[in-house]
Amino acid sequence: MRVLKLIVPFLIVLGTNSYANVNITDLNHTVSAMAILDDKSKKIENSVSKISSKQKSIEVTDANSSGSNISSSIDEFEDEFEDANSSTALRFDPLEPYNRAMTKINDKMIIHILDPMVEGYNNVVPEGGRIAINMFFKNIQAPVRVANNLLQFKLKNATEETGRFVVNTIFGLCGFFDPAESDLKWEAHDEDFGQTLGYYGVSDAIPIVLPFLGPSNLRDLTGIVVDGYFDPLRSSKIGNANYKIAKNTLESTLYKGADMFNRASLHAGEYQIMKNDALDLYPFLQDSYSQHQKQKIKE
Amino acid sequence: MKKTITVLTLVATLSTPALALKKDNIEAGMHTKIDSVLVVLAKKTSTATKGREIISMMDSLFDYTLMAKLALGQDTWNKITPAQKSEFTKEFITKLKQSYVEKLELYNNQKVAYKGVAPYQKGRLQLKTELIGKGETYKINYNFHDSDKNGDWLIYDVDLAGVSIVQSNRKQFAGQLKTKSFDQLLESIKLANNR
Repeated sequence: MRVLKLIVPFLIVLGTNSYANVNITDLNHTVSAMAILDDKSKKIENSVSKISSKQKSIEVTDANSSGSNISSSIDEFEDEFEDANSSTALRFDPLEPYNRAMTKINDKMIIHILDPMVEGYNNVVPEGGRIAINMFFKNIQAPVRVANNLLQFKLKNATEETGRFVVNTIFGLCGFFDPAESDLKWEAHDEDFGQTLGYYGVSDAIPIVLPFLGPSNLRDLTGIVVDGYFDPLRSSKIGNANYKIAKNTLESTLYKGADMFNRASLHAGEYQIMKNDALDLYPFLQDSYSQHQKQKIKE
Repeated sequence: MKKTITVLTLVATLSTPALALKKDNIEAGMHTKIDSVLVVLAKKTSTATKGREIISMMDSLFDYTLMAKLALGQDTWNKITPAQKSEFTKEFITKLKQSYVEKLELYNNQKVAYKGVAPYQKGRLQLKTELIGKGETYKINYNFHDSDKNGDWLIYDVDLAGVSIVQSNRKQFAGQLKTKSFDQLLESIKLANNR
């Protein structure tokens, strides 16, 4: 399910507006949309192939005419992107066979288990309710963000996060609403320990695909473990953490599961559409995750 | 005859640099374009029709040929024949557009905020925007370059929450070329496009 959150970026391709937050509030709309989906996708295919065949001559001309200055024009851009030489570009991935297998398992779980469950849930709980539930879980987990903002000396962000937690808990009905952002313009500053490690220069070497959660790496997996000590929804045996809501592993699994399931419901259908962009699913998801994390660390 | 006119119109639309944006007009020009895209998205026509309309509106802003070259990378691009280059460019553009049209299904009344144009790598420019939904906000950056060194700026990459379209494809193609020949890569792109 974390995969779903992380892949959201892809859901907007060529970027303007194709963004992805599937509105399933309106049941009738959804049902009719589902019914015409097949028909639509056929039409899309037709239209795209028509457009591309019409443009064939243009592109051929273009590609040929610019042939003479190709090297110099690509050359200027080469630094901006990672090495595209197939022999050196690929990262060290000692767990590749496992990672590929787990990607397949996650893929099957999303398509055959998660998506049908999300569909049912979305038919019962309106989008507004699911957004409020998402806010509630997010608000409870403020200690993780505050701690990691502090660890990166982002003091203003840490203060804002603390302020958000207080305001949204008191005036936002325990966090179901976000008056801190809507009224005070205090934005959330999403930080976790994986990002904190990245901020201090730890690389994202050794990709690891996690069951349910999707692409990760040694650094971010360490981050997940460490964040467990701050996260009220996860039990930990270390320290005197009276603020913990989860008292044991079972409770912790239930709370985190509910949070992730609800979050996935806000991104229904995205995975399927995004998957269509992949020539090879595992490296595609891993690379998308890696690029997205790099951006988060920079912020 | 009608077909010829359509093709000629498309050629004119796509190859006229006058439709690229001037440096000072990148933000305002994109604002106007994106606003009209949002109008199309609000229509009650089929996604296919919307897709066609939107692609024809946005086409003139993208330097597709450069995107194709960058996605393949200099090494491979310089090794292949002109015929392979045009074949690859054609398939790559189809891939981009197909992917885009599919995503239109997911649009749900998000609003677009414009965050200004800033200098980017080597004299290039980046327009920062945000797509604001009910629950979450996503950053979308459009990278422009002076396509003809004469003040006609075109988009050569879009990054969505840090994920670059060019980089993602580049990584995928390099990965495929590790075990496959260029022609096999081309076949697999074609296969995915005709899925």
